[in-house]
Amino acid sequence: METYYYVNIFETKGLEYLLLMAFLVLFVLLVKYLQGPRKLP
Amino acid sequence: MADTRDLGRELRRFGKFLRSEARPRGKLLTPFNVISIPVILLGIGILVVRFTKGLGSVTNLSQEFPWGFWIGFDVVTGVAFAGGAYAITFAVYVMKLEKYHPIVRPAVLSGLLAYVFYAGALVLDLGRPWHIINPIIGNSFGYNSVLFLVSWHFMLYMLAELVEFSPVIAEWAGWRRLRRILGALTVGTVIFGVTLSSLHQSGLGALFLMAKSKIHPLWYSEFIPIFFLVSSIFAGLSMIIVEGTISHRVFKDQIDPAKHHSFEDIILGLGKGAAISLFVYYFFKLLTFIHDRHWKLLTDGWGIWYLVEILGFVLLPCVLFAYGVRNRSVGTVRVAAVMALVGIVLNRLNTSVIAYNWTAAVRYFPSWQEIVVTLMVIFTEIWVFRWIVLRMPVLREAHELPTRRTTAGNPVPSAIA
Amino acid sequence: MNRRGFLKLAGVAGAAAAARPASAAPASSPDSPEFWGVLVDTTRCIGCRACERSCSIAHDLPVPDIENDDLLEHERTTSDRQWMVVNRFETSKGEVFVKKQCMHCWQPACTAACLTNAMHKTRKGPVIWHPDKCMGCRFCMVSCPFEIPKFEYNSWNPKIQKCNMCFERLEDDKKPACVESCPTDALMFGRKRDLMEIARVRIYNHPDKYVHKIYGEHEVGGTGWLYLAAVPFEELGFRTDLGTTPYPEFTRDFLYGVPLVLFGLPALLLGLSLLAERDSES
Repeated sequence: METYYYVNIFETKGLEYLLLMAFLVLFVLLVKYLQGPRKLP
Repeated sequence: MADTRDLGRELRRFGKFLRSEARPRGKLLTPFNVISIPVILLGIGILVVRFTKGLGSVTNLSQEFPWGFWIGFDVVTGVAFAGGAYAITFAVYVMKLEKYHPIVRPAVLSGLLAYVFYAGALVLDLGRPWHIINPIIGNSFGYNSVLFLVSWHFMLYMLAELVEFSPVIAEWAGWRRLRRILGALTVGTVIFGVTLSSLHQSGLGALFLMAKSKIHPLWYSEFIPIFFLVSSIFAGLSMIIVEGTISHRVFKDQIDPAKHHSFEDIILGLGKGAAISLFVYYFFKLLTFIHDRHWKLLTDGWGIWYLVEILGFVLLPCVLFAYGVRNRSVGTVRVAAVMALVGIVLNRLNTSVIAYNWTAAVRYFPSWQEIVVTLMVIFTEIWVFRWIVLRMPVLREAHELPTRRTTAGNPVPSAIA
Repeated sequence: MNRRGFLKLAGVAGAAAAARPASAAPASSPDSPEFWGVLVDTTRCIGCRACERSCSIAHDLPVPDIENDDLLEHERTTSDRQWMVVNRFETSKGEVFVKKQCMHCWQPACTAACLTNAMHKTRKGPVIWHPDKCMGCRFCMVSCPFEIPKFEYNSWNPKIQKCNMCFERLEDDKKPACVESCPTDALMFGRKRDLMEIARVRIYNHPDKYVHKIYGEHEVGGTGWLYLAAVPFEELGFRTDLGTTPYPEFTRDFLYGVPLVLFGLPALLLGLSLLAERDSES
């Protein structure tokens, strides 16, 4: 390859981890939503 | 000696039974028959031309587009739709979720037929199909090929599905002892089948890994195999919802009315699974979108087309599934299932045909013959499905065996019952 | 190949072979001969298309009319009736002719794609096709980054058509037909190691004449055919975005993982199934 300069292939890693955290929060919310309204014991 | 005579008598009995079963039942002039029979006959005619004059005589395939509708839709999409069989057998036999037991038989049957017909459609597309045995008999094993793996897995999985379904055939034919042996094989076969499915569903995606320079970057990713695997879960579940809804209407008299309520429960359960797998799939897609910095590609028509697929037919059905499950609205879940299926069609066709060779000057569009043959394949599958459902205990609960001989207190294992 | 044939072929490499330091000579054994290839110097090509003619004659294909220059008006590609074509490009340095055919990759995508080993990388370098093995799935066409394998769509018994670097002539210690017919030495047949040396020497001796790149040196992991040019390769219809990774590497991880899944997943599923059983009993 004719690239004589530095290429950072991990440039987006920070964004990816933010996405992951958003996913985890939303996933918990989704699962709770799918379980339906909480029933009283 | 006595055994041979028994066998002979049994075979004679079965022959007579088969002849009586082979006779058509019901009316001949139903709307489905009126549409499907001409299409099937026309399809056969087209195939005669195809096998005598070559693929170019009936298809729009070209040097730039070596794979068209028959591969992109029949095989790649059809196999994703057949993912329901492995998802359900996993739930019932591995996770022991008894709730889904009533739909195991139809799911396995439609999975088996989907593989036979849609993976079988691959043969129509082969230029030199008489060499199809080469990678099987071992005179030229191309181990290095993803397609080698996929074709072996298709074959082995069809066998596994047949074993999973065989207790139904044995019940129908009244083979009591065989039914017991086959039933005992079920759990092992299911484990084998789920493993094979995970590999060939992802393998279908891996076929496109080497088309890196041809597929539009929005649809190419080194994670295509994982995308195909995860999306086959909700594709299969959605297909069961849609197919089950239709066959519950069409084959009403096969089903115990008392079971109707539990069927709605099952649909909601499947919807929950589909919502979760769609959600995970959506975030997988987002991850590769961010990693490959694709936001720059969203400005043109391809970008909009990508957004239509991801937002309209992944995120939206996911939301609808969740809403439907939460509010116990079976109708919403059905709509979501149809949309998820459309999303799968879009994704598979985008990867294999539409966004494939996206820079080509002349675009590919399927010829009417390609579409007729595809319809022929689908209609023939439905004919076989209907023939089996009307005769074998697939939907109905006739699992009691004819008591011709008593076994020594061995109850029939409830494997696939 | 016998020694005489070897010398004859090696002689083609000419001056550079002699200039090569002896220590760089590869430990080449008869079991693993180094690949052969062809160096195309587009600055020497005059567009006579004698190669197109000799190629078609050598492989019993319809012989193109090389007098008819109208064909050069549009960029052509190889077809199921023509294994190689010469195209004319209008560039910043005037008109340039470029021969196009199979690149004979060192690690070809098509052979990795083939599930019957019908596409085969021979030890000497040519990628060839076996009619008695191919099932016509066209996965090679999907995989090839240069879109070289061509399929006979209008035959009940279709063949894949592509350049085989005159594999059968190489067996007879002859050069490929196109190379032999080239009147201007634009084509040079030899071992890639030697061809690289020659190409570099030409660039160093004429730094203003050539762009300082040898197409095929690293493209898709290196190809058997190499190109020199006076203008950037983008102007000559070459894809310069293919990267340097050999294409089979793209499927390597997946195929490597398959046995892992087959070892691990059944055990995991069995474990899950046993656990679920415990649960339902208690």
